[in-house]
Amino acid sequence: MIRARPLHTSSFQLALLYAGLFTASILVLFALTYWTAADYAAKDEADEVDVEFTAIQDEAHLAGDTRLPQIIDNHLQQRSAEHAIYLLEDPEGHKLAGNIPSQPTWLGTRQIKVMLDGKMPDVRAHGYRLANGDFLLIGQDPRSLQQMKRLIVRAFSVNVVVTLLLAVLGGVIISNRALKRVDAVSRTTQAIVAGDLSRRIPSRGTDDEFDRLASSVNAMLDRIEDLMRSMRQVSNDIAHDLRTPLTRLRQRLERARERASSIEELREIVEGSITQVDTILETFGALLRIAQIEAGGRANALETIDVSSLLKSVVEDFSPAAEDRGQRIAADVAPHLQLSGDRELLTQMVANLLDNAIRHSPAGAEISVAAHAAESGVEIAVADTGPGVPLTERENVLRPFYRLESSRTTPGNGLGLNLVAAIAKQHHAHLSLSDNAPGLRVAVLFGGKAALEKAP
Amino acid sequence: MRILVIEDDAETAAYVVGGLQEAGHLVMNSGNGRDGLLLAATGDFELLIVDRMLPELDGLAIVKTLRASGIETPVLFLTTMSGIDDRVTGLNAGADDYLVKPFAFSELAARVNALGRRPRGTAVETHLRVADLELDLLKHTVKRAGRPIALQPREFRLLEHLMRHAGEVVTRTMLLENVWDYHFDPRTNIVESHLSRLRTKVDKGFAPELIHTVRGAGYCLRDPS
Repeated sequence: MIRARPLHTSSFQLALLYAGLFTASILVLFALTYWTAADYAAKDEADEVDVEFTAIQDEAHLAGDTRLPQIIDNHLQQRSAEHAIYLLEDPEGHKLAGNIPSQPTWLGTRQIKVMLDGKMPDVRAHGYRLANGDFLLIGQDPRSLQQMKRLIVRAFSVNVVVTLLLAVLGGVIISNRALKRVDAVSRTTQAIVAGDLSRRIPSRGTDDEFDRLASSVNAMLDRIEDLMRSMRQVSNDIAHDLRTPLTRLRQRLERARERASSIEELREIVEGSITQVDTILETFGALLRIAQIEAGGRANALETIDVSSLLKSVVEDFSPAAEDRGQRIAADVAPHLQLSGDRELLTQMVANLLDNAIRHSPAGAEISVAAHAAESGVEIAVADTGPGVPLTERENVLRPFYRLESSRTTPGNGLGLNLVAAIAKQHHAHLSLSDNAPGLRVAVLFGGKAALEKAP
Repeated sequence: MRILVIEDDAETAAYVVGGLQEAGHLVMNSGNGRDGLLLAATGDFELLIVDRMLPELDGLAIVKTLRASGIETPVLFLTTMSGIDDRVTGLNAGADDYLVKPFAFSELAARVNALGRRPRGTAVETHLRVADLELDLLKHTVKRAGRPIALQPREFRLLEHLMRHAGEVVTRTMLLENVWDYHFDPRTNIVESHLSRLRTKVDKGFAPELIHTVRGAGYCLRDPS
């Protein structure tokens, strides 16, 4: 048995694909967040520096430019926690105040490297020229911004890793569950392949997709098992049923060889043997025909049939033969009944039913053929006043070769009703046997509710 | 009649050829489809008896080829293919009759005679007459010795078929197929019952007897004179 591993299942691959898509969307989100936050932080810093510069200018204006170094020192102290950078130089480039070494002068915003607390971070600094010609540089240690960026990166990295881990874990768990159920199905089918047709796929009773699959596969298996059983039954029946006439034939021929004393006697035996062979061939013919009907495939033979005239004509065909046996066929057929079917098969079905009624009923019997609209279709019924079929035997007489004890002596091969059943089934019609009190009533309901459900 | 039998099973071929020769026909046999088609196309035969399953070229193809090339020699299919559709495809391909194996020789002989005498290309007859029995297809009337006889519709069709094949043996199966359109065997003897009624109406009180039973073969309507 080939055992599938969880990592190769489609559900796992689906989970991976999903995780990949999810990670990609996290990365996009990350990039957006990162750049928006960085941009915002940079703007915020520029605003803050502008506010600082304005404040320093205002203070210098009030106190006088000579107080500038002191004002800078004050600001430095106030904002020491924010890692602010200040530098004040006179127009000659001498440092007057500040916390970084003197720099070449420039105006505007620049990224510069300065020594700060023993480190050399990149600092965004803004250079201003004051009214008295002094150079003022205000900047902000970028550590807080860097820190925020690091935080964002870390948060997203953790997110991606956790997502991937969860996806893989979930994938493995889901795949394992799916695998277990798939394994159950393949174990069952392998057991069936090995010959145990009674095995069925277990259902968890949750009505999920696996349960639905299991129940439809099980229904299919039921049908196959049914067919196999009836096929076995039929081949047993054929073997058994044909053995009897073949045995008789053999005995007859043996007698001819051993005892026939005249050409006339020999001729008579040969005549009897041919009749016997014809009976066997007839049985084969009936079996073949049933098999052909059951195999279907005559869909193009379907046409709309006027059942009323079909029945009338079959009754006319059979009436003289019934009269010869002292029986009477009465037709009670509603006019213009129509149904879609195979004309040849429907004719044979009615002929077979009449044939059965005539052969199994004694002289004086009344045979009736009735048809009327019923439910959403047409019901055809053939009834007789013969011996009938006991309730317990009604299922059995539909089996191939099955014959009632009481009709053993009546000629027939026990396939008549079988053929009727096959034709009814091919037309999605419902066949039922009932008591005609006295006698048997066989009814075939075409296009009724049952047929509508079964029809494709 | 000159007959070609295209049949690959030697035993069946010998049975058919032997029987037909005894009945006075001139019979040739071919064991495979290609030779059979060649013979059928070039030889001057009045009837072809063709098996459906043959080596080299199957029976259906033979008949289709013959008909396509305008050869209208009557064809009788002799086959084990007994399905309803098999019969229909066989006849649609251009065969004139279809006989399923196994068969009684009398059945084959009757069908061979019917096909051999089939009038080809003649106008549709509307009036049939055998001795003093007359049947008018247009007026739907039957008269014997000038006296009208009332028949049921099925009896009329039966008599029409017998009169069209007057002098020939017509088997029970041929009647079922042609008069009743039953391509299966109803075990009830509907042919016999109808025939005995027809016989009572047509022959009773008249002389000579026209409808005859041919033992082990079928029925024949003929003028004994």
